[in-house]
Amino acid sequence: MYQSLLTKKYLTSKLMPILAMLAVMLSVATILITWSVMGGFLKTLVNSGRSLIGDVTISWPNVGFAHYEELIVMLEEDELIDGATPIIETFGLIQLPDDRIELITIKGIDPVSYDRVTNYTDTIWWKPIDKPTAKDHDRSDIRLDPEFSTAMAMFESNATTLSRLNTDSGQTEMAGVLGVEVTGLNIRTIDGIYDPRAYGFRATPDGGVERVAGFMPAGGSVGLTVLSLDSTGKPVDPETRTIPIANEFQSGIYEIDKSTIFVPLEVMQEMLRLDEARKVEMVENPFATEVDPVTGKLRPKQSEVIGIDPARVTTVLVRAVDGAELNAVRDRVYDIYSDFEALHVGEVPSVFSMDNQVRTWEDLNATMINAVKKETGLVLFIFGIVSFTSVFLVLAIFWSMISEKTKDIGILRALGASTPGVAWLWIRYGMVIGLIGAVCGTGAGYLVVLNINSIHDWLGRTFNLVIWDPRTYYFIEIPSEVEIDKAIIVFVVGVLTCVLGSLIPAFRSARMDPVKALRFE
Amino acid sequence: MPAQQPILTVKSIRKTYHLGRVKVPVLHGVDLTVQHKEWITILGASGSGKSTLMHIIGGLDRPDRYPTDPASIVYGDRVITDLGAAGLNHYRSTEVGFVFQFYHLLPELDILQNICIGSMIRYGRFGYGSHRKGVEARAKDLLDRFGLSDRVKHRPAELSGGERQRVAIARALINEPALLLADEPTGNLDLKTGESILEVLAGLQADSGLTMVMVTHDSRIAARANRTIRLIDGRVAEETADSSV
Repeated sequence: MYQSLLTKKYLTSKLMPILAMLAVMLSVATILITWSVMGGFLKTLVNSGRSLIGDVTISWPNVGFAHYEELIVMLEEDELIDGATPIIETFGLIQLPDDRIELITIKGIDPVSYDRVTNYTDTIWWKPIDKPTAKDHDRSDIRLDPEFSTAMAMFESNATTLSRLNTDSGQTEMAGVLGVEVTGLNIRTIDGIYDPRAYGFRATPDGGVERVAGFMPAGGSVGLTVLSLDSTGKPVDPETRTIPIANEFQSGIYEIDKSTIFVPLEVMQEMLRLDEARKVEMVENPFATEVDPVTGKLRPKQSEVIGIDPARVTTVLVRAVDGAELNAVRDRVYDIYSDFEALHVGEVPSVFSMDNQVRTWEDLNATMINAVKKETGLVLFIFGIVSFTSVFLVLAIFWSMISEKTKDIGILRALGASTPGVAWLWIRYGMVIGLIGAVCGTGAGYLVVLNINSIHDWLGRTFNLVIWDPRTYYFIEIPSEVEIDKAIIVFVVGVLTCVLGSLIPAFRSARMDPVKALRFE
Repeated sequence: MPAQQPILTVKSIRKTYHLGRVKVPVLHGVDLTVQHKEWITILGASGSGKSTLMHIIGGLDRPDRYPTDPASIVYGDRVITDLGAAGLNHYRSTEVGFVFQFYHLLPELDILQNICIGSMIRYGRFGYGSHRKGVEARAKDLLDRFGLSDRVKHRPAELSGGERQRVAIARALINEPALLLADEPTGNLDLKTGESILEVLAGLQADSGLTMVMVTHDSRIAARANRTIRLIDGRVAEETADSSV
């Protein structure tokens, strides 16, 4: 009883407990803000990565697998699966307008079904928008400009059909959509938007330079070279094509946006020789002849068509229904593939060999996700150590307070207070200070996280201080999210920090000789 | 002297303080018997051990213990020197009331809270709730008796020295102890205020039959006491009884 009375009185009559509360508050707020920002960063990163790969993938690299349309029908019949799409994923070389040649990931897609499974259309960059992006305060984004709205609508349409009108020939050509960072001709501004260059430069053999198309969707094209493979997966010939660029996309992952191009599925099937082909029986005798049924004359014997080799893809992406558990979906996809394989024994990869080829997006991005998780853990560890100093701060403050209150302790002992009772007075006091500090810290941290971008903007305007530069961090806004379980953990740790800091002074107070305490001056 | 069981019997009490490696003996075997409703004054020069004796009697300090030491303090039928920490805490909160020279009030609490805190300690968190009304009524009675009924919500810093000491006496009496131990209760007060405090104490003894042991230099207290004991170098050197008791 007396502990609660004294706790209340000590709280309201001293500066020291306010300092201790501030220490706890700051450490709680710091950890909560850090964890929320890093957690938000990870979540945004993961969602960005997931946006282009769906939930589960079935892949058989290089040679691919046939009858994929049938597999997709089987997959889409399942209640856990929302949709599936075939793609071809391979590596190749890209020749940019300035003649640079770089390694690139090429994805052959069917844009309609691909959009059902991924957020493809959301990632398309050049399209008309109504509202400026979060940091585009001066509305400098050309996508907002009514003058370009028609062109932007055309670019968007081109991206959704993977085609572009050739103004010279009047023909619509199959086109690709390039990662927005690939050419280096889109300059990312501090507002988090892209400022496209009107033209780039190409070095000429005579030592000069010449202008080349800068804004790719408006007439730009790239050269793509892939190594086609035979049915056994062995390289056959390099295949090069010029691909007009319909649009550019931004996934939110720099590595993807820097090194990926989407092209129509059929283009990739042709280039990699994964398209439908006739099976022929080779003529063994080179001198054999036959009668041409059209002319009636003899001619060298032709190879006989004995069947059709169906078109193949390297990967099928699967989108799960909302709320489905990913591993359960993966297992279901595997089961469906087993049924599929049973229908095409010998024509598609066996179910045993697919064991490691049916993977969730988390499996596929494990390296990236784990790297950010480790980084989050490391940052939290460092901040945790820094915040742990508040234990010593509380300890020092309590030590000082107890020294100041030595006589009170002597009085309480003279009135019959027990040593555990006196210790509990200070532990309880520490707990109350910790509770108040943690409540304030959690509240302050929550408010800061909620308004972190406004605060950041204010710092930028007032002090010209830019901590989160979209040019560097890629996401336009500081990603942040307060999760209740994290907030509870931080809150409890904040209270425990204070209790821990008060323990040694509390035991010291309990061990005080009451006679010496009463004589303390 | 009243012919009944003494309330307190102190036998062969010795106490040595240790200042680093230096042993400083303070009490060298003190014997003392206190009867019910008796007022005893302990006189002695500074360092003679009178405050130490009072602290040991009050269970705030422990005497030296030797394997063959016959030392003991017996309160009623309880051997105080054999009590553990919990027993001593209970003894201090129920049987003994302390009054100190420098009042030792808790500065953050108001007067009523300062008086009631002894009962809060005695009854504990849950017990105090059921005793609260009675305790507060008794505290107000005491304040009324000491002429402080209009200062209930004041803080100690807002009171004079005499008022503070009266509050300290009220605090000592809140749990209705049988034994009041006072260490120089008038030592920090002017003559007139000290006299008024003595009047209060004398009135208490007369009304409630409180047993009082006081440590003092003040000859006026000695003059009012039933018996005076003089300590010299940690020993009882002289004992003077008032034949009127």
